[in-house]
Amino acid sequence: MKTLRPSLTIVILLGVLLCFGVQPTSAAKDNVLRIALDAADITDLHPHFAHTTQDRGIVHLMFTGLVRYKTGDIGKFEPDLAESWEVSKDGLTWTFHLRRGVMVHPWKGNPGYELTSEDVVYSFKSAADPKRSAWAAEYAGMTFKAVDPYTVRITLKKPLSELLFLPKVADYAGGLIIPKKPAEELGEGFRTHPVGTGPFIFTKYLPKEKIVTARNEKFYRGVPKLAGVEVFYMSDLSSRKFGLQSKDIDVIEGPPSQPWVEEMKRLPGVEVDIFGPGEAGVLHFNMTKKPFDDIRVRRAIGYCLSRDEVVTALGKAIAEPVYSEIPNPQPGWITGEQAKLRGLQDGKDYLYESDRAKTRKLLAEAGFPKGFTTEMYLTERGEYQVPMQNVVAQLRECGINVKLNVVDHSTYHHNIRADMNPIVLYNCWRPTADVKLTYFTHSDAVVVTGKKPNTNFSHIGAADADGDGKIDSVDYLIEVAREMLDAQGQKALWKEAQFKLLDWGVAYPLFIKRFTFARQKYVEWGYDLQSTLILSPQINELTSITK
Amino acid sequence: MIAYTIRRVLIAVPTLIIVLTITFVLVRIAPGDPAEVRLGDYASKESVETLRKEMGLDKSMWAQYLETLKGLLQGDFGRSMVNGRPISEEIKRSLPYTLELTLVGIIFGVVFGIPTGVYTALKRNTLSDYIGRILSLGGLSFPTFFLGILLMLAFSIKIPLFPVVGGGDIHNLADNLYHLALPGLTLGLIMTAYVTRMARSSVLNTLNEDYVRTARAKGLTERKVIYKHLLRNSLLAITALIGVYAIVLIGGSVMVEIVFSRPGLGKMMIGALKQRDYTSLQAVMIIFASLVVLINLITDLTYGLIDPRVRYK
Repeated sequence: MKTLRPSLTIVILLGVLLCFGVQPTSAAKDNVLRIALDAADITDLHPHFAHTTQDRGIVHLMFTGLVRYKTGDIGKFEPDLAESWEVSKDGLTWTFHLRRGVMVHPWKGNPGYELTSEDVVYSFKSAADPKRSAWAAEYAGMTFKAVDPYTVRITLKKPLSELLFLPKVADYAGGLIIPKKPAEELGEGFRTHPVGTGPFIFTKYLPKEKIVTARNEKFYRGVPKLAGVEVFYMSDLSSRKFGLQSKDIDVIEGPPSQPWVEEMKRLPGVEVDIFGPGEAGVLHFNMTKKPFDDIRVRRAIGYCLSRDEVVTALGKAIAEPVYSEIPNPQPGWITGEQAKLRGLQDGKDYLYESDRAKTRKLLAEAGFPKGFTTEMYLTERGEYQVPMQNVVAQLRECGINVKLNVVDHSTYHHNIRADMNPIVLYNCWRPTADVKLTYFTHSDAVVVTGKKPNTNFSHIGAADADGDGKIDSVDYLIEVAREMLDAQGQKALWKEAQFKLLDWGVAYPLFIKRFTFARQKYVEWGYDLQSTLILSPQINELTSITK
Repeated sequence: MIAYTIRRVLIAVPTLIIVLTITFVLVRIAPGDPAEVRLGDYASKESVETLRKEMGLDKSMWAQYLETLKGLLQGDFGRSMVNGRPISEEIKRSLPYTLELTLVGIIFGVVFGIPTGVYTALKRNTLSDYIGRILSLGGLSFPTFFLGILLMLAFSIKIPLFPVVGGGDIHNLADNLYHLALPGLTLGLIMTAYVTRMARSSVLNTLNEDYVRTARAKGLTERKVIYKHLLRNSLLAITALIGVYAIVLIGGSVMVEIVFSRPGLGKMMIGALKQRDYTSLQAVMIIFASLVVLINLITDLTYGLIDPRVRYK
């Protein structure tokens, strides 16, 4: 068998491998930042449709708004495309004065042009059109007018406070400005060839692989330090980690998992960012499904659960307990201390500190002395599995058996919106307290049967929550708060609504978990990353590679 | 043979229609909606309904099916329901990455698997045979993605020879091969394990045939016995099974593409499934089914070349 020579073939194989392997890795050598996100591909790069965390991260490279959330800290607003603005005394008319010399990116042979009020008005009209935007409801009843090339006037039907109005014109979702000419010219193509005014210009989209951008030399805040940004789609976590280790990739998206954070911290030359605002995980009890129509059962579950246990399961480095539907640090949130004090004042319990004797007593009163069994759908995603498995284990100790039917994420969203779950775990962040309460607790948003069905899984406003036989609602508190111009008054009403929800036990706020990214130490964001509304680090003109 | 080929191609048509129909029905009865996926949590019901109408999802399933079939007969896969891009463009870009990966896997498997299988068969029950058998069994037992991760760890992290990201520029041979090396090796090692085991078993069967004994009795050199009699007669079974395993390999390529972030059909399929992109998913399934049909056809036609006793009727 001399002719077969297996040893020779192995030598040839190694030779071939070495020949292939001579090309050097290229990350960071060309001053291009490479970031890998947990996605198979883009969904939509039109900013008025982009809603996934991954799409938003890319969109923010290329688009800006009239005002912007302070980079790295979403607690404050700053001027951006608008240099200044004023509001009429009645709170109905907002006038924005545009910055001069803002250049729209060049696109497909067009050199780009100066952004004017005509573009801004076009963008807001587009954002308000349900056919051209997923955020149309946010702009209902508004009119937009170009007063002169650098002045835009927005008129409202009902007054809005700064706290509720500025997010609509900030660098988020419908507030991102799409210039008129490229939007009209590219039509549907705009979704995969975005043209904006941001620090980076769209260059190339390689489906299932990456988006390539180059720096905008004419960016109005100064020339970006990076030559460009490449965003890779890598849905496999191990591949992202290896990409970081091999330095093919400079920044990777991580899972909200403490072991992963610790693993990344052990890697040489790697830094981990844990930042907010985070997603709040809340259990919503469906009052139309037995036995969750009984307030005693809902409260019994509240007393059975320990938030600390759930937070420990998620990891204390990335999660902390929350006590209200609106999470920290959003205006309107309730701290544990506040819930306790207010409970003492009202003679009620808004905190539901773990007390299993109370659970047993309430279950017995409700006719379930031996507990009960229920069944629910749950997404396969880890950020839902980890806390829910912990909740299920805790409930089992109280005699409540929850059978989990694990499905893929799209199916989960479909099923919970079809009102199929008795309990819904929902992790999310919403930009304002008004949005959160409106979508999760207003009667219009009741799943399936509401006027504008959304994510009111508990049927608040369409069911008897306190057991007196009458329908209970927080609609009026949300609506009155929405029209108030006084920020303190608004916050008080939002809190009032949440105390009612806690009293009724319709939703059990569990945790807020932060976002995790790992990066090479040579990547510097250029700002203090505390929180970003796009839920991934903002890469802007200040971001640099210091290598 | 030409008539046989044409007949086989025609038989493939109903197979593809069945695949299309099953895929079409399954993706539509699965919960989830591409309009909901595209617009997200904030979208009003009105926006979702408008988009569903634009996507043609408000029509009956039967009407949608006929429309899809009509498009496919005209060679039009339609547009992605998620990003609106023509699917044929996406396939045109993704297909070469999957084909080259599968092809490298097959070639690697054949080049290394057949000699190893023959060698271990000839050295039956020796140390070389045991080592070969254990390694091939190990190869069969390794999940593709796990082997990919191990290779990545070894040849990208510990010894930084290869990239871990992307498929490279398909128009740049060096770059393309550079990115193909590790994914190709992953599938190739799996294929080698398959081929080694079946080549060994096929050769062992042939070794006991009378004509091999006769060849040796009449004084032919061992080399001639192996090449003229043993190998050629073993090849028929090997060829048939390579076809089967090549189909298994196409399935394996999906995981390899995910692990190595290659922009191939597998990655396209997983993305389409997650996003409920019905049209893209249908198109990818049709392409995969076509590849399976094509490989079967090539396998059948190869029989005749290897074994003159096989005649096409």
